Amino acid sequence: MKRKVKARKWIQVIFFTIAALIAVNHGLSEIGKPIPFVAEASLHAICPFGGVVSLYNLVATGTLVKKIHESSVVLMLIVFVSALLLGPLFCGWICPFGSFQEWISKIGRKLFKKKYNTFIPYKFDKYLRYLRYLVLICVLIMTAYSGKIIFADYDPYYALFQFWTGEVAITAYIALLLVIVASLFVERPFCKYACPYGAVLGLFNLIRIIPLRRNDSTCISCSACDKACSMNIPVSSGKKVLDHQCISCFECTSTDGVCPVSDTMEFSTGKLEEVKS
Amino acid sequence: MKVKATEAGIVFLVLIVTGIAISMISGYWATEGSKIPAKYAEGEFAGLSNPADIRGSYSFDDIEKAFDISVETLAAAFGFGDDENPGSIQVKKFEEVFGIIDGKEIGTDSMRYFVALYKGLPFLPEVDTALPRPAISILRKEGAMTEDQLTEANESAVSLESTHISTDSTTDERNETALMEIKGKTTFAELYDWGVSKEELEKILGIPVGVRSESVREYSMSNGIEFSTVKTPIQELLDSK
Repeated sequence: MKRKVKARKWIQVIFFTIAALIAVNHGLSEIGKPIPFVAEASLHAICPFGGVVSLYNLVATGTLVKKIHESSVVLMLIVFVSALLLGPLFCGWICPFGSFQEWISKIGRKLFKKKYNTFIPYKFDKYLRYLRYLVLICVLIMTAYSGKIIFADYDPYYALFQFWTGEVAITAYIALLLVIVASLFVERPFCKYACPYGAVLGLFNLIRIIPLRRNDSTCISCSACDKACSMNIPVSSGKKVLDHQCISCFECTSTDGVCPVSDTMEFSTGKLEEVKS
Repeated sequence: MKVKATEAGIVFLVLIVTGIAISMISGYWATEGSKIPAKYAEGEFAGLSNPADIRGSYSFDDIEKAFDISVETLAAAFGFGDDENPGSIQVKKFEEVFGIIDGKEIGTDSMRYFVALYKGLPFLPEVDTALPRPAISILRKEGAMTEDQLTEANESAVSLESTHISTDSTTDERNETALMEIKGKTTFAELYDWGVSKEELEKILGIPVGVRSESVREYSMSNGIEFSTVKTPIQELLDSK
């Protein structure tokens, strides 16, 4: 692995640690023993998806969904701007639950070697990938209808960072357990099949300003990019990757990832044949 | 233009820092609720704080500020009269402390219901929402609700006997005094202290009362009277005091 992709790994660790510290500190601050220099925010306050589920309430009543704060709206806008530029960077670099699944996947890779992340046949998988849009629609409707963050009761991310609080529904614990087990067979299963926020950000892959491009004339068709893609995207099959599942992890690129030929797989505003780095 | 991974990471971090900074400077950034409930937008109560917007994160202090109901009243209503710092108790604690009692729930909605009745404000509680008996006693004396609303609340009231009240006898006695709630261990002496007369008790029991130190429950049972048949009228008597 090249040096620069390691930056992503470090950023993942840092943001996971920040989320964990904030989650723990929220509980400690309620009993008057906060950790110095750590924000006393709740987990909901630092989740940009809270802004998304509050959009209906914001437009209809001018208020946020219960337990969601203005910080979620700000973070939502920041993530949207970044996604408009470079796609779902949030998913690949920041999301603590995405990172958690990636780390579990290391065990799966050791157990199943090359078979890992190939258990679900493509003919089924390509349709299953749209399940997360169904989840998104359900979450938006249920939240708009109830005015509460209904998804917390099913959210494995919430269960992971709040499991000690007694505020987590049994359904969320079950979801977390399922994701952990599934991560031993499939990389980022929650991101692929169930994450409503990933569904929203995935749409930016279709319109982002700096897409992932492949230089057809220099590509040696080694399929290294396909194998490196945690989201099982057939990266080598086109000149421009517009797949809604791309998480902008840079693992497939020439400069930072596995592509052995320079200037062949890059995030670029123009066609690679025309771009000189 | 090509973008490398490190450049993308830097761009994202810059966006996060800049975005948060701008929102902080503009005063929009907030990671906690204001603890100021929404107000009724229209009608007779327009401009008044709406109890329906009370959230689990509200403390008794927050509710006192928003609705002008003293912390002591709130604490007594929900059985926290002996708490060292009742103002800091958050409403979400109810679910943990009370939970479901007799198929009914004392939770955040109970506080909304209590505040609405106390202030005479419109509010429709959830079907399974209940108020504790001490809250009914307080409402009977100080509430601004109608008699029908009080009757309705009283029908779904629950006892706090099996919940957070400590089994420690000292604490139990103090709480009992604060709540004026008849329990299995309540003695005739305690009822007298709470203002119930011997005659009123004899009228309910149908027999002469026992000695002061004897519990009403034991005395009733030893005389062939089901405690449950006298408990409710005695509680109603206490509530009316």
